[in-house]
Amino acid sequence: MTDPTEDVAGVGLLAEGLHDPGPAPAGIRRAPSGVDGLTTEHLIINMGPQHPSTHGVLRMLIEVDGEEVVAAEASIGYLHRGIEKLAEHRRYNAVGTLMDRGDYMSGIHGEMAIALAVEQLMEIEVPRKANWIRSLTSELNRLANHLVWYGTFGLDTGAMGQFLYSMRDREALLDILEAISGQRMMFNYVRPGGVVADLPAGIDAKIRAFLETFDTYLDEHDALLGGNEIFQGRVKGIGVIDAGKALAFGITGPNLRASGADYDVRKAKPYAAFAELEFDVPVGTVGDAWDRYQVRMCEMRQAARMVRQCIEGMPEGEHIAKVPKVLRPPAGEVYACVESSRGETGIHLVSRGEDTPYRMHYRAPSLFVLQALEDILPGHLLADVVMIIGSTDVMMGEIDR
Amino acid sequence: MRPDATDSSAPTGAGGEGTEAGMSLLGQTAHVRAEAVIGTLAALKDEGYESLVDMFGCDTGESIELTYHLRSYAKDRDAYVKTVVPYDAEVASVWNVYPGALMPERETAELLGLHLAGHPNPRRLLTTDGVPPLLRRSVAIRSVEEVKRR
Repeated sequence: MTDPTEDVAGVGLLAEGLHDPGPAPAGIRRAPSGVDGLTTEHLIINMGPQHPSTHGVLRMLIEVDGEEVVAAEASIGYLHRGIEKLAEHRRYNAVGTLMDRGDYMSGIHGEMAIALAVEQLMEIEVPRKANWIRSLTSELNRLANHLVWYGTFGLDTGAMGQFLYSMRDREALLDILEAISGQRMMFNYVRPGGVVADLPAGIDAKIRAFLETFDTYLDEHDALLGGNEIFQGRVKGIGVIDAGKALAFGITGPNLRASGADYDVRKAKPYAAFAELEFDVPVGTVGDAWDRYQVRMCEMRQAARMVRQCIEGMPEGEHIAKVPKVLRPPAGEVYACVESSRGETGIHLVSRGEDTPYRMHYRAPSLFVLQALEDILPGHLLADVVMIIGSTDVMMGEIDR
Repeated sequence: MRPDATDSSAPTGAGGEGTEAGMSLLGQTAHVRAEAVIGTLAALKDEGYESLVDMFGCDTGESIELTYHLRSYAKDRDAYVKTVVPYDAEVASVWNVYPGALMPERETAELLGLHLAGHPNPRRLLTTDGVPPLLRRSVAIRSVEEVKRR
């Protein structure tokens, strides 16, 4: 094979000093492009960790050929706090506070996962009302989380208006959750045995008032972003994760369902009051960013439907079972999982009969999506990378733990 | 309800000698030797366990216990494959069987002080060079007072 630069020199470009590549800096590869025998450069772009569209502190190293992504690598750990290690030094009641800081957008789900694991180990019977409150707060939390995702996903595509409206509704939801738990985001509300406090008086009227307007607001949200032709043109057909790939990479939750696989922990392994609630599991078809958008929008409708059922059918009774102040589960190992906003949040808990966990492993659904992104991004345009990351709703807090 | 100690429907797997399958509080669990992990996982994948839900390690005080959590969505069943490796051991990557193990394996190796063999990118994932394997029992956490004193 002849040296392509000779051809370039032959037509006089090099002679004029216009195309002398010089020695390549570190991180840049040269590859023949095949067009006119010219040599092109692969550039490695460092995206993040302070990029506004990386949803926290994700750093992606993206190798591009022109505008096309050739390879992508996720570099994580910027938010590593050692939650699993810290859990080994906390009493069982306090591990929930760490879980809140894992997936900080949907704390109730993380708290519930550890509570379910401890209850499984200690064989605690949770009162019926506690289960219903758990389902209620869990769905309210899912709504708040999906609204943030909806707002920021729009921002990734360049749309601005929907962010303000989504934050308005989310703030109303956080007010409700604050009235219930005393905290906006770091709830520490779900504890082994039930929930820490009963619902405050008058909360059902507050939730009803919210839902009355929210149903119409949700249609407006969907029309504002999903009905936008530019948005549709941007997200349709990009970031396709087919069902086979989703299963191979261990993807769960809305991202798996967008691929057409009908799996929801709330249906498959019902916890809290989900066995008694009526809801549908929205499923996509091809698994592109547009399907993921639609699945999450439908999930919000289902969540609102469940919240309504929860306040209509809220049973009377105790909100927490009789549990000792210091929990000492018997030795054993269990796995408990919940359907969090991002997928299956699981807790592997190993107990040796002490008042602290011997080992707690936090299965973070976003981690499995992130590793699949390295496989999915190549072949897309650089501008689509931000949209694909946004559409998968990865959360760095739970990836790094 | 605690399941019985034995269950005939436990995953058979191709663990060969030293394989022990049974029910625990966790579910269907197979204990295999470290060399047999890849073979067992491949056999289980053929049996229909198409997804690796999770992979993690636990420092038992004498060695590291690795757990692979598999799931068959069609049968709605979970299975666990456990193996025990010594400290600082070299562990063969299972990413060829289950690509879902790519990052969990890196994390486990880094936080428990193991070495990955056959992994496409066996570098550290969460912490920087020089950080000890944090999830080992021998690595202590510091109290607030200890941090302030430094």
